[in-house]
Amino acid sequence: MTAIEHGEEAIVIIGSGAGGGTLAYELTAKGIPVVVLEAGPYLTNDDYVNDEWEAFNQMAWLDPRTTSGSWRVARDFPNLPCWIVKAVGGSTTHWSGATPRFKAHEFAARSTYGRIDGASLLDWPITLAELEPYYDKAEIAMGSTHVHGRKPLPANNNYIVMANGAERLGYSFYATGPYATNAEEYDGRPASIQDGFNFQGDKNRSKWSTLVREIPRAEATGLLDLRPESHAVQITHDSSGRADAVLYLDKDGNLQRQAAALVAVAANSIETPRLLLQSASPMFPDGLANSSGQVGRNYMRHTTGSVYARFPDKVNMFRGETMAGVVADESKHDPDRGFAGGYYLETISLGPAFLASFAEPGAWGREFTEILDAYANTAGLWIVGEDMPQESNRVTLNTSVSDKNGLPVPNVHFDDHPNDVAMRSHGYTQAELLYDAVGSTGSHRTPPYPSTHNLGTSRMSEKPQDGVVDRYGRTHDVPNLFISDGSQFTTGAAANPTLTIVALAIRQAEYIADQLKTGGI
Amino acid sequence: MAFPAKYPQLNETELTDEARSVLIRVIRVAFPHDNFPDGPYERTADTILKEAENSTWFRVALTQGLLTLSHLAGGDFRDLNEEDATKVLRRIESTEFFGFIRRTTVLNLYDNKDVWEVLGYEGPSFDKGGYINRGFDDLDWLPKARVELYDGPKKFVELAGNVPLAAHRGAETGAGTAVPAPAGQAERDTSNQPGKRAAEMAEVKK
Ligand SMILES: Cc1cc2nc3c(=O)[nH]c(=O)nc-3n(C[C@H](O)[C@H](O)[C@H](O)COP(=O)(O)OP(=O)(O)OC[C@H]3O[C@@H](n4cnc5c(N)ncnc54)[C@H](O)[C@@H]3O)c2cc1C
Repeated sequence: MTAIEHGEEAIVIIGSGAGGGTLAYELTAKGIPVVVLEAGPYLTNDDYVNDEWEAFNQMAWLDPRTTSGSWRVARDFPNLPCWIVKAVGGSTTHWSGATPRFKAHEFAARSTYGRIDGASLLDWPITLAELEPYYDKAEIAMGSTHVHGRKPLPANNNYIVMANGAERLGYSFYATGPYATNAEEYDGRPASIQDGFNFQGDKNRSKWSTLVREIPRAEATGLLDLRPESHAVQITHDSSGRADAVLYLDKDGNLQRQAAALVAVAANSIETPRLLLQSASPMFPDGLANSSGQVGRNYMRHTTGSVYARFPDKVNMFRGETMAGVVADESKHDPDRGFAGGYYLETISLGPAFLASFAEPGAWGREFTEILDAYANTAGLWIVGEDMPQESNRVTLNTSVSDKNGLPVPNVHFDDHPNDVAMRSHGYTQAELLYDAVGSTGSHRTPPYPSTHNLGTSRMSEKPQDGVVDRYGRTHDVPNLFISDGSQFTTGAAANPTLTIVALAIRQAEYIADQLKTGGI
Repeated sequence: MAFPAKYPQLNETELTDEARSVLIRVIRVAFPHDNFPDGPYERTADTILKEAENSTWFRVALTQGLLTLSHLAGGDFRDLNEEDATKVLRRIESTEFFGFIRRTTVLNLYDNKDVWEVLGYEGPSFDKGGYINRGFDDLDWLPKARVELYDGPKKFVELAGNVPLAAHRGAETGAGTAVPAPAGQAERDTSNQPGKRAAEMAEVKK
């Protein structure tokens, strides 16, 4: 590993997940040295455990956060608004792997859906056509099944139930992917052994993550200075308003300063705006790169929900890939359904420990225990669809609660938009019909979990007054400051976000490399 | 329910064996699984008692709660049948006492092999080579399902035909999704809270 001097003006990337890990690899592969500051420890696949709570405690971001708003998460899990990983590789270590692309119209949500009360919809400043070549690159990097010659994964039990239900309901567009986990050996990593522990980090390394691909490859270039257990707390700037350093706490809690020629923030959509807000200064009184007032706003989490259905016979949903099953029929935009945007249905499975905690938080008695008693005969699916951006759904600094470092904790405020509620209830109904079609004897509508998809809090916009970053993720206000994660999303689309985060990061790396060469930064 | 004590000694109470056995009954009534043996319930009660040892607040809440329970039960809570016992618990479900028991039970009762076996969950699998040769696809009461992408005659329609919109830029790409733009509506609107446009949304139901 290359050590870069603290005083040397470096390219500094904050976060090593989908966005940061990809950007680090792409830049080092082009011969550009980078420093990566990662708040979490450097764990590897051997460290992971096949146990839900143990794995969660090992890797989830457990620094305190607070919540407000009418979403149920604020009541049931007031200090756990989202499930994000704090470790090298970020949330790609716990992600499951579904990789659908955005559709063309989803880059133009405002123009397509029209005006929707209470929603701060905006068109992306880029189109699908512009992103398509990068989607290709991202899919090849991640080894997405069903595309570029990658074999589909086999059907596991949970999928067999969902796919048959889908077929009988009249759906057609279902498959075991696209899903970024190897069905056969690919890219130096083995085929899936269907161990059922995607959400706990895949010990077998069949699942793509920046931990198994981008980070080791960046290390191999000799140009990566990866600093785990290094928590960025502020980005400073010079008198001309350019970012000039990142202050961070090392593993012993000592404050360090890394000089910077360029800073790219990829800390996921809660910590990214938190860091910008924490970097307020007399020149940037509302937070760095926040002249628009949009930093932290338009927080999106996808409209989600799950349905767990019971059958007379065994399903054993826990055996095999957690989310290798995608139904796309409802991912269209069809306002006749009573809402704008679309959603996917994807298989999901939880073990008894997580199912007990998340199936119906707060519940007890026989209505609750019948969910667990039916465990072996249960099939599960997850609804994931586009939610409406709203200005008031927002990450702010909670000035009345501080963390162990004395820093204000982020507060996550969220209210469902009526469009989100309508979409969720449509999804629940369709899921129940789907399971009814294959003979379910009962089912349960599970509310959204703490957010795994966190988006939009530094959004991309054509005009500086509408958002935080431009078409390349470069902040409108600070020329050498970039945002490289899902915070950039102008709108959320129906698709799971990670493929798009990776595609944007690959594209951003090209742009940064080009700008460095031509002196544009 | 719990009183702040001037001297901490006032709260140095310990729970008796009787209290433990009432607690076990509370957990069984609140989380009734006819197939569970006593072991998991006893284990969970002991976890709760241990947590209460570490927190004065919960210990006091637990002590007070168990006492209240016998008042509401009109005698020994353990003598009530499941239906009556459930009624008593419904009356106290919003108390700190019950919330503490419920949360701790949900987090612990189901996080152990002893109940996984009863529920049919096989748990850790990596060391056994995963489930690839151990039944990940052994479901036999439904036909085999297609795993490839759909390749039939139907076309996936990304935008419903009745969407009364025009020059959405998304139409610039993506085979089969383009909606022709009527003249005069080609201008883009990227402002933050734009005004009414030609495009009308179907009514959003609350
Ligand atoms: C259980 C689960 C299942 C999922 N399944 C899917 C799926 O099937 N498909 C899909 O597309 N997506 C899925 N996701 C979402 C996916 O993981 C995220 O979209 C993606 O990882 C986000 O990338 P990111 O770069 O924005 O952030 P992350 O990958 O979360 O990386 C952010 C990194 O920044 C670090 N960091 C934060 N703050 C600081 C700081 N101040 N200083 C230094 N470092 C910091 C964090 O520790 C973390 O490592 C899933 C997520 C979870 C949790």
